[in-house]
Amino acid sequence: MELVCLGLNHKTAPVEVRERFAVGNTKLGEASLNLLEMVGAPEGVVVSTCNRTEFYLAAESASATMQKLELFLADKVHGHEEPFYRHEKAEAARHLCKVVSGLDSMLLGETEIFGQVKQAYSAAHAAGTTGGILNKLFQKAFSVGKKVRTQTSIQEGSTSIGNVAVELAEKIFGHLKDSEVMVLGAGEMSRLTAQALVSRGAKSVIVANRTHDRAVELAAEMNGRAVRFDDWLPVLKDVDVVISSTGAPHTIIHAEEIESVRRARKFRPLFLIDIAVPRDIDAAVGEIEEVYLYDIDALEQLAEEAKSRRLQQILECEKIIEAELEKLLR
Amino acid sequence: MDRWFLIAATFLALMAGAGGLAVLRHGRRSQWTAWWMIGVFLCQLGYLGIRGEMRAACPLRSIAEIAVFLAWSLTLFYLLVGPMYRISLLGVFTAPLVALFQGFALLPGKLAANPERITGTTHWGETHAAMSVLAYGALALAAVAGVMFLVLDRQLKEHHLKGGLFRFLPPVRELLVSLERLLWLGMFLLTIGLIAGILMPHENPGAWKHVFVATGVWSAYIALMVVKRVRGITGRRFSLGAVALFVLSLVVFAFV
Repeated sequence: MELVCLGLNHKTAPVEVRERFAVGNTKLGEASLNLLEMVGAPEGVVVSTCNRTEFYLAAESASATMQKLELFLADKVHGHEEPFYRHEKAEAARHLCKVVSGLDSMLLGETEIFGQVKQAYSAAHAAGTTGGILNKLFQKAFSVGKKVRTQTSIQEGSTSIGNVAVELAEKIFGHLKDSEVMVLGAGEMSRLTAQALVSRGAKSVIVANRTHDRAVELAAEMNGRAVRFDDWLPVLKDVDVVISSTGAPHTIIHAEEIESVRRARKFRPLFLIDIAVPRDIDAAVGEIEEVYLYDIDALEQLAEEAKSRRLQQILECEKIIEAELEKLLR
Repeated sequence: MDRWFLIAATFLALMAGAGGLAVLRHGRRSQWTAWWMIGVFLCQLGYLGIRGEMRAACPLRSIAEIAVFLAWSLTLFYLLVGPMYRISLLGVFTAPLVALFQGFALLPGKLAANPERITGTTHWGETHAAMSVLAYGALALAAVAGVMFLVLDRQLKEHHLKGGLFRFLPPVRELLVSLERLLWLGMFLLTIGLIAGILMPHENPGAWKHVFVATGVWSAYIALMVVKRVRGITGRRFSLGAVALFVLSLVVFAFV
């Protein structure tokens, strides 16, 4: 029996092609059954996420199975460039290990893919489309994925501005369930950053925007409350995190404003995230003892550093994968 | 034999501190620090047991004995507080201080090889000594938490967020909460020690000087905590206050 993998992902196919191959979570088992019927192989698993769809097969002849599979999928790529990558035998096993470890993901080292592949495998297993070969392969890939995550730093550090902000907020406040967030300016970046904080348990969100209706809209989206833009300063005494992203051509938060609420805040730590360009918060605010001020450049730099640390880990991850594959194929 | 227990405890404390820091430099957290510190604690108990037998009382008669008792108290509070509040790296910061106190006691001539047996002790006197040194253990650990806050605060302010130290230090808010709780615990014990100190018999006028100084230290700590509670104070000043008061009290008692 030989292993075959054919797939397409964010690197090889645009979204309009990927969506033609996408399979919903509840249909993964059924898709694996269809796959076996079409190519006449004894074992098969369909993996499908927003960034990839892959077909894993165990068959007597890798090349013959690959041909049948390509023929079966040809209609779906009509009008587009060839989007597939193909791996056979050991290369297919290596590819699966990389996918499960997050090395082939759009966001290098992300962990969600591990669960998604596991879900696809479970669905195929439940549908009876896996056997000795694929069971062994997927179990090995999961154990490799765990090893890569525990023995390297591939998943450490945040690589997006929103996540860097969350990580910093957690470093300052610990659990965010006691933390209140104020959003100044209801733009897309502040919405994403606030959402990231809410998803990690932030207690409440207060939105202030020059166009009050937009503030109300965003506040409703995050189960928070809106205040008039001119009223943000009195609210500051209760909040722990401020995300500022207004379109103002000049700074709107100055040291004097923060100084005026320090006593009322009892000098509690205050985390200010300035993602506006030009900046909303005067740099002098960062000199105030209990204030931690991060602007867009600082956040981007931290995200870049995390990305570069992850890239440096690839070699380590590949060493683990090779060592484990050697054991599997021995 | 007591000295050997103390040497072993100091060696283990150095291992805990140096080992923890070495692992941190590789971006990981040592899983062994707490075990080293349990070893430190057991060796300290061995020392205190033997020394207590020699003295026929709580061994708190010389500055070296006080330093070791303080190190024991610090280790005790670390073992109680560290796991309870999940303050990671507390051991790495505590171990060097424990080694420092014990290293001081091990200096030639500091710890008498054949100490005199203590006679004529009173309950108030024993309570005063034991509670005061226990209190300083809690206050020392508060100072350690203060140092940890100052390190993290500086890293966050200056955006130096790389490395194991930043990754494993507990959050700012948790450090400040632990610091405040340790100060309250220390003050509770110090208050008992101080009351016992006032009630114990004072045969010479110099003993009252000690009580006055202790009252001064107690008042300074109370002032810091009242300011924190009532008016509020920045984390940096609160931490600096806890560290400065602890160092100051050690210096003052070394001369009084």
